[in-house]
This record gives sequence, C-alpha cells and structure tokens, in this order.
Amino acid sequence: MNRISARQLFFFLACIAPVGKLVLMPAQLVHDVGNDLLFPAAINCLLQSGAVFCVLTLVRSQKSFYTLVAERAGRAAAKIILALLMLFLFYAAIMPILEQSLLVQNIFYDTLPSVLTFAPFFLFSLFLCAKPLSCRGRLWDLLGPLAIVAFVGVLAFSVGQADFGALLPAGISGVGSIFKGAARSLGWFCDSAILLVLLGKLEYRKGIALRGMLFYLLGGAAVLLFLAVFYGVFSDIALRQIFAFTKISKYFSGITVLGRIDFLFIYLLAFVMAFYCSLPLHACVECANLLFGDGKVKTPLYSAAVNAVMFSLTVLLNLSFLRTGEVILYKLFWIFLLFCLLLPVLSVFLRRTPHEKF
Amino acid sequence: MKNFKRTLGRIPLKLYLFLGAALLISFFYNDFGLVDIQKTAVILAVGVDRAEETFSVTAQIAVPKGNDRTTGGTSAVEIEGKGKTISDCIEQIYYKTGWVPKFVFCNLILLGESLVREDVFCALDFFLRNEYMPDSSLIAACEGSAKELLSSASAIDDAASLALEKLFSDAAKNAGTVMKTTLREFAVGYYGADESGYMPYVHALDQASGTDGSAQETAEGGKQNVAQTEKIYSAAQTALFSKGKMVALLSSEETFLYALLENNVSTGSFTAKQGEEARSFTVLREKGKVRLNIDGFPSVSLTLRVVLRTNDRASASPVGDITEGILSREELDKAERTLTDLFSSLWEKSVLGGCDLFRLNRTLYRSSPEKYREWNKTLLFALQPDFSVQAESVN
Repeated sequence: MNRISARQLFFFLACIAPVGKLVLMPAQLVHDVGNDLLFPAAINCLLQSGAVFCVLTLVRSQKSFYTLVAERAGRAAAKIILALLMLFLFYAAIMPILEQSLLVQNIFYDTLPSVLTFAPFFLFSLFLCAKPLSCRGRLWDLLGPLAIVAFVGVLAFSVGQADFGALLPAGISGVGSIFKGAARSLGWFCDSAILLVLLGKLEYRKGIALRGMLFYLLGGAAVLLFLAVFYGVFSDIALRQIFAFTKISKYFSGITVLGRIDFLFIYLLAFVMAFYCSLPLHACVECANLLFGDGKVKTPLYSAAVNAVMFSLTVLLNLSFLRTGEVILYKLFWIFLLFCLLLPVLSVFLRRTPHEKF
Repeated sequence: MKNFKRTLGRIPLKLYLFLGAALLISFFYNDFGLVDIQKTAVILAVGVDRAEETFSVTAQIAVPKGNDRTTGGTSAVEIEGKGKTISDCIEQIYYKTGWVPKFVFCNLILLGESLVREDVFCALDFFLRNEYMPDSSLIAACEGSAKELLSSASAIDDAASLALEKLFSDAAKNAGTVMKTTLREFAVGYYGADESGYMPYVHALDQASGTDGSAQETAEGGKQNVAQTEKIYSAAQTALFSKGKMVALLSSEETFLYALLENNVSTGSFTAKQGEEARSFTVLREKGKVRLNIDGFPSVSLTLRVVLRTNDRASASPVGDITEGILSREELDKAERTLTDLFSSLWEKSVLGGCDLFRLNRTLYRSSPEKYREWNKTLLFALQPDFSVQAESVN
C-alpha cells in the first residue's frame, strides 16, 4: 500500500497549505483588524501548528483515525465522529472552492463569464477524489517546488512597492478585535482536520510531529510575510483588494516594459490552489470510504456525489458569496474551532503510549 | 444478482462519460464572456470633465490600422458620453458605438479643470471599483477641458494619450521633471491619515503647423485642406490635492524640489539665478529626509543633501572647467539659496491649501495615534519647518 512519506507531508505543510490563504483571507483580515492583520494570522498559525503537532503524534501507531477512535471509544462512537468529520470537511471545502471559482471568473477573464466556466474544475476534482488519498503524496512532491517558485516570484515582484510602515501603529485595533479577527479567519486553517483523515496513510519517521509543526510554522511565516507585503503595497485601500496574490505584483516597474509577466507566477499559484482546494473534498470521500466501505464502484460514486453537490452549491451561491462568507466564517466560526482545533488537540489522548518520543 | 453487480460495475465508466459529456457540453455552450475584438473598444485613456451635476467622459479608443486618420502607428478616436455618473457616461459610449468598452489597457485618467475643483473621487470611485480597470494607470489633472486635451492633435505622436504617457516615463521621473502618480497611490493618500495627494498638471502648447493640414469633407461633398494646430504637452507642474480637491499648483521648479525631497531624482538639473547671472547644475546624488519630532511641541525638519556638477555657466569657460565641472563655494551657496527659496514657496503653498505633501499626519498617526487625534486638524498650520540644504561639488 502506498504511503505518504515524511518529505511529502512536509512539502504539504510548508509549501501547499499556505497557498490557500492568499486569496481572500488578506482582505478579510483587513476588514476585521485593519493594519493589525498579522496578529490574527499569527495566532491561527501558532494554534494550528500546535494542532498539527498533536495529530502527527499519532502517526507512529500507523492506524487510521477511525481505528484509533474505535479502539478507545468503540465502533459506534468512531462512526459518529467520522461521520461528523466527513460533513465538516465538505462544509470546510465550500469557501475555498467558492473563492477559487470567483478568482477564475474575475481574474482570468476580462468580462464576467458564465458560472459554467468553472465547471471543469469539478471534473478534475471528481477524478482526483476517486483516487486513493495517498496519491496526494506524489502530487505534493511535484506541487511543493512549483508553489515555492510561484510564491517567491510574486513576492519578488511586489516587495519593492511595499511600505512596511503602513503596518504601524501595531495593535491599534485592540485585543478584542484581534481575537475576533482570528476567530473569523479560522476557516482558512483546516489543515489539522485534514491530517486526521491522513492518519494511517502517513509513513512514520522519528521526530515527524515536531518537524511537521516546524514546517507548518515555516509555511505560516511565509503567509505572514505575504500579508505584510500585501498591506505594505495597498495600505488604506487593502480592504478593496480581494484576490490578493493576483494584485500585489502588478506594480513592478518592469511590467510596463515586459507586460504582465507576473501572471506566470499567478497561474502557477492558481494551479497549486486547484489541488489544494479539492483536498477537503478528497478527505471527505476518504471518510465515506471508511464509513461505508470502499471499492472500485463505491469510491467513484462517493466522489461523483460529493462533487455534484459542491458544483450545485457553487452555482447557487455564486452571487451570494458575501452572505455565504458571513454565515460560514462569522456566525458558524465555532464549527471550525471544534474540528480544526479541539478535535485535533483532543486526539492526542488516542495515543497508547503517552511518553513515547515524537 | 450477478447481473446487478455487473451493471453496478459499469456505472462508474458510464457515469464518468455522462458527467464528462454534460460538463464539456455545458462548458463549451457559452462564449466565456469573450467579446469579438471588432466589437471591442480598447480604451487607451479617459478624460473626465464635469458641468454642474453632469459628468462628461471622453474615451480615447484605439481603432484598427488602415483608417484614414493615420498612416501608421496607433490610430485613435475620441468618443464622448455624458451622464449623472461615470458609469452612465460609459454606457452612453457603448450605445453610441456598439463597442464594448474595455479598460484593461487604459493607462491614463485625465481630470479636467472643472472636475478637480470638487472631490475627484466622485469620478474616481467608478475606476476604483471597476475590477477590470488597472489601478496602476496614471492619473493627471489638466488645464481646461480633458476632452479638448485628449482630442487635440499631438505633434509628437498619433494620439494625445500616447504623447502624454511619454511625459510620464521613468526617465522623466528620474530627472525630476514630473511627479507622476497612479490611481492606487492617489487613493492610498486620499483614504489615509494625510488625506492628501498630488498629480501632474498637464497643459497643451501650440506647435505652429500651418502646412500639415488634414483633409476634411465639406457639406457639398468636396474635400478641402484645413490647417490643424498641433499640440505639444507639458506636465512639469504639479497639482496638490487635499480631501480630493485641487488646492494648489506647484511650478516646475517647486516640482523639482519636491522630487528631490521624495528621493526621486537621479539625474536632474536645475538653474540658479542671481541678478544677471544664471548657472545650471546637474544633481548627481541626492538624499532628502523629512523628520517629524513629536517630543513636546511637534516640529519638522527637512534636510536635503545634493552632490552637484556644473551643467551650464551660460558663458565661455576654460576647457579644464568644462571637463571637471567643479563648483566654487560661491556657486554652491547660490544653489543652496535657490533650493531654500523654493522650499519656502513649496511649504507655503502646501500649508495654505491644507495639503499634507510630506505625509506628516500619516507619520504622526503611525508613531502616536493619541497625538494624531489631538493634533491632526492643526498640525500643518502649527509646524515651523526647519529646512536645511547641503550642496557639495563633485570632486
């Protein structure tokens, strides 16, 4: 059976997981805390890296999350928890996929195209989700370096235009607003919940939990750097700049001569994002496999069902994006708190030998 | 049961085929929002004027070559739309021409004199909202009507907008002859703590050209040659804005000094006059610094260090002097006095207009929000600037 190696996992944590946070999250943070956008992002990165550490301590057992829960709390409880996790992963996929669809419609077309323009993504996702989840490892091997090149390219084009003084005065929005901003941006930090589903498919290596956490923090630092450059470039009009990563690099002085060559890096990042935002759906299908059994027939059926429902939702919610975001990220933020922080942290109690080294 | 299992086994492939076909058909059953290039108006520049409550937008649109208006390069037509909002005007342009206006290549927004008397964001709001309008496009104010300026025949290029864009080149910026700004930079200033901004002020100058007439059709159907006055343009002056309104106009010399203080100049030159004599200097290196001190009563110190070389003595000079270009202490004093005088008028204009040209309110806000709240309304008027300039000769 194919397993995801530690290297592949680290590529995911350090290079691919940060990519999903570069589209709408920067403008959302500016909306909540203005120039203090680094603080809520840093809080979430730190909390999430802790959650990643907790989940990765379970890798040594080489058992799936379902088996671990079943051994501790019985099969019925395991099924209930896994079913809830499955529903959550589907729920967590809504915002990234809506983001991606809006990005494609607004940035890659110079007029507002039909909502069907994004439809082929679901064909791609349907195919991908029907594959074993462990195939992601090889993908991460390929996507990791691409993400690094694209990220460095976008930053190199934009850092010269940034006025980092715009981040001052630090903490002006107040502690309350910063924590509120952190709560409202939790929806972009679901990586530990996805790792729960990957348990049993990850190859154990000594120190994987600690290194995994450090690599996640490295990715978090990259996100913070991006946010600082983003606010440095746009300052008081940053709120207006949705699809952040497509906007910050266009002021590079060479662009007037060379044209929008930054689009090479933007397309590359969007390519990596397409894989990243289908990951929660893939994890959702994997949960269905564990719950209802897998097979040549069943897995593609689950994949088709999940993608068909998501496609319908994308069409339905296409023009209600703000309202959808308000409900998912603001009103129901506690769902993310439960599944992205509480569940991964509590999962540490599933370990059989509490004093083993990570 | 076996048959059922076999049927079930075939489902995925059929399902894939069905879903794939459905998606591909639906995907290709639309035009992706793409518009035929022949029905597209590629807008090179827009000019905005205002008459009381009515806006007037003039779009300079690139048209395919082969048109009678030009023999080569980019030809352009100017179409005007009027309405209560900018969006209204753009719609009108669409109705009049049948061309879908595209802003993707719009590199210049020109604001007429009538518009800049009020908050210009009543017009810029549209461009800032428009996802397809690049906020990296240049923005400038102009003398008279933006429509007239954009419609004028340029002596140096096929379209006025293309001639204007040449004025805003990086080379011109480095020479300190223009203080160019983009929609993004202007909006950052407007929405920021300083609520101020600047943009180049363009005016057209006649270029005598009686012989180069263009053929124009008369009512009788015949053709006659009409002498056309070609124009050249200058953007050496800078318009200052406070809360979106134009409040002052910097001369070309003041613009140069402002460019020096903003560290924009790498190879500029200026002239110092004293009595009958005039000397021109080339700035080889410069370092401008603005420091706001908020300990106790606020004060601001502006320092400028320049390394100069003689550019022109306006008289016959020894060959050795021409080669070395070294300045005497007297000449350096003259240069320093000229720059100090320019600073006085620059400061006076910006303060009287309420334009926070050196972003002092922003600096104050970033260092102490409490003091900013206390002083932001009076800061500019209360400050006594301490300006010092140190000129050195190349050696």
